[in-house]
Amino acid sequence: MANVDRGALVALLYQMADDELIVGHRDCEWLGLAPHLEEDVAFSSIAQDEVGHAVNLYQLLQDLGEGRVDDLAYGRPPERYLNAVLLERPNGKGTYMDNPQFDWAYTVVRRLVYDVFDGVRLAVAAQSAYTPLADLAARMRREERYHLLHHVTWFKRLATGTEESRSRILNAVEKVWPDLPGLFVLGEAGPGAHFPASSADLLSQFEAELKPLFQEVGIPWREISLNQEIAENGRLGIHSPDLRTLLTTMGEVRFQEPEAVAW
Amino acid sequence: MSEERLAEFMARIERGEKIEATDWMPDEYRLAAIKFMQMHALSEVMGAFPEKEWVPRAPTLARKLSLMAKVQDEVGHGQLILRVVEDLARPLGKGREELIEELLTGQTKFHNVFHMPAPTWADCGIIGWLVDGAAVISQAALLQSSYGPYARILQRVCAEEGFHIQHGESICLALAEGTPGQRQMLQEALERWWEALLLFFGPPETDSPTAQILLKYRFRTKTNEQLRQKYLTKYVPRIQALGLRIPDPELRYDEKEGRWIYTPPDWNKLKAIARNEGPLSQYRLGLRRMSYEQTRWVREALLGRKVA
Amino acid sequence: MAQHPEFRVFEVFVQKDHLSPHVWVGSVDAGSPEDALIMAREGFLRRDPAVSIWVVPSDAIYGTDYQDRDFFARETDKEYRLVSAYAPENAERWRKYKRSLLDIEKDFIKD
Repeated sequence: MANVDRGALVALLYQMADDELIVGHRDCEWLGLAPHLEEDVAFSSIAQDEVGHAVNLYQLLQDLGEGRVDDLAYGRPPERYLNAVLLERPNGKGTYMDNPQFDWAYTVVRRLVYDVFDGVRLAVAAQSAYTPLADLAARMRREERYHLLHHVTWFKRLATGTEESRSRILNAVEKVWPDLPGLFVLGEAGPGAHFPASSADLLSQFEAELKPLFQEVGIPWREISLNQEIAENGRLGIHSPDLRTLLTTMGEVRFQEPEAVAW
Repeated sequence: MSEERLAEFMARIERGEKIEATDWMPDEYRLAAIKFMQMHALSEVMGAFPEKEWVPRAPTLARKLSLMAKVQDEVGHGQLILRVVEDLARPLGKGREELIEELLTGQTKFHNVFHMPAPTWADCGIIGWLVDGAAVISQAALLQSSYGPYARILQRVCAEEGFHIQHGESICLALAEGTPGQRQMLQEALERWWEALLLFFGPPETDSPTAQILLKYRFRTKTNEQLRQKYLTKYVPRIQALGLRIPDPELRYDEKEGRWIYTPPDWNKLKAIARNEGPLSQYRLGLRRMSYEQTRWVREALLGRKVA
Repeated sequence: MAQHPEFRVFEVFVQKDHLSPHVWVGSVDAGSPEDALIMAREGFLRRDPAVSIWVVPSDAIYGTDYQDRDFFARETDKEYRLVSAYAPENAERWRKYKRSLLDIEKDFIKD
């Protein structure tokens, strides 16, 4: 990794790992609550893949001397997580334990834009000069392509289903869009030999892939600007209060018995 | 219904033949089979709830993954079995939506006995190890069921349950070998669940009309007490080997009688629980009902039309 | 008929490798074949590897009724189609050639 900037590489790995962990965590809150049994099973597989990818990415960080996988996943203060804020937003009102008024349309649109983004990011990461990342990205792309198919199918079905499903999708697009620019921020992570693309490159590829789908089902496309101020900029460690709540839930058992060496 | 047809049907049952969805069968058989399998399917679906509460809080990523996989299997088993019920219930005008709605309105019961609070991570381990262990014993006994589609799909279900048991054992072993706090957590969870484990197999007398019908048609082939005894033989030594205390001073194996003696659990409690009055039955049913209502629009969209 | 409009039922067939046939594994409720395929992937391929998966609308299957035993009747002797009709007798006959066969093999090895 002679020509790779270690600091930028580490920041990139945190962004990718935290994105996968946090979205996987949000997905797993849907267990038992998905729209029908078949989808409950299918969506759980996707959540498992995301958490599995997070494990692999944290493993690369562990190999770089950042600490042990589980300590990285559980043991940092919220401001050290670099996931995009879009992924930490709750699935809806309530919690998975208490009055879960989850919004499937929001989940589908969030997952769709994230899967397209992640596909674009992985394609670049597969070109990384840091071989362990390039290899992992190539493997992850195979599963992510299927996640994308899953959510494209859902998006089309709901956008063209009933009046109600269409209007719910429109609302969800409206809700997701303000968080989109935050996804493309690279912050300390790039570009460079470790990740040979800029935010603008990512965005133009993202638009090239997603716009035609919106056109196909007649959902108006909104332009995305990377020049606006982002108040909650997750890539810089600035998060919504929801991340703190999420992390408290995630670590509840782990930190209940601080002496424990194994679970 | 002609006597002759019924006699022929009974002769098939006694020859050990399998009954298929399209075969002629007495209404008594169809209704009992639907009721039994619907309860099984919905118990799998509802059974995912106590454990799924712990997925977001699983203490390591490895546990988060394995617990998710396990809960997913449970829902998957519910789906597989419900599909079998749908085929048998079609002549009665019932489909997936109706079968689920019967759960939500309380018309169909589920194995409520396990719907108790699961306040610690150790409860999650005990559920995986001992509750699933009980479920496996009762399911394995159904592999011989006279209803072919059920017996076939249970082969798949039972194969996956092997993973569940190992998964639960692994959590319990880690806690048993852990800090005093972790051990304590495990002991307390065992005490919370012990009575439910005994209740699960049902009262020893199998003279309830439904139980008689199921045995007569060889839909089931083992009695409640036979299964409970088998369970105790398998699990009591394992629990004791971990140094855990089973909260029953009467519990012992009587060599002369060749059976386990135990303090009978409170069967009245079981009756109340069966009426969906279990500690958390209504809470968890409420979650299910809520998600069902809130996602009705999704199912309508999938069908491209309004669901009535 | 059911009171609600229903999902369609799709039967699922999985082929575990190129030398195996597609085998029925179960069924799913879905709104379309595309949805059914996605659900089947997760419902039935969670552990086992596979190279192909089919979903077939249940009502497209045309088959026998379990009641129709006669369909499967084998009343005339079909022994003549089976290996077992020939193998023992052939073996018996070969036995007398065995001696010379072995000699031939020996010669072959020597060469």
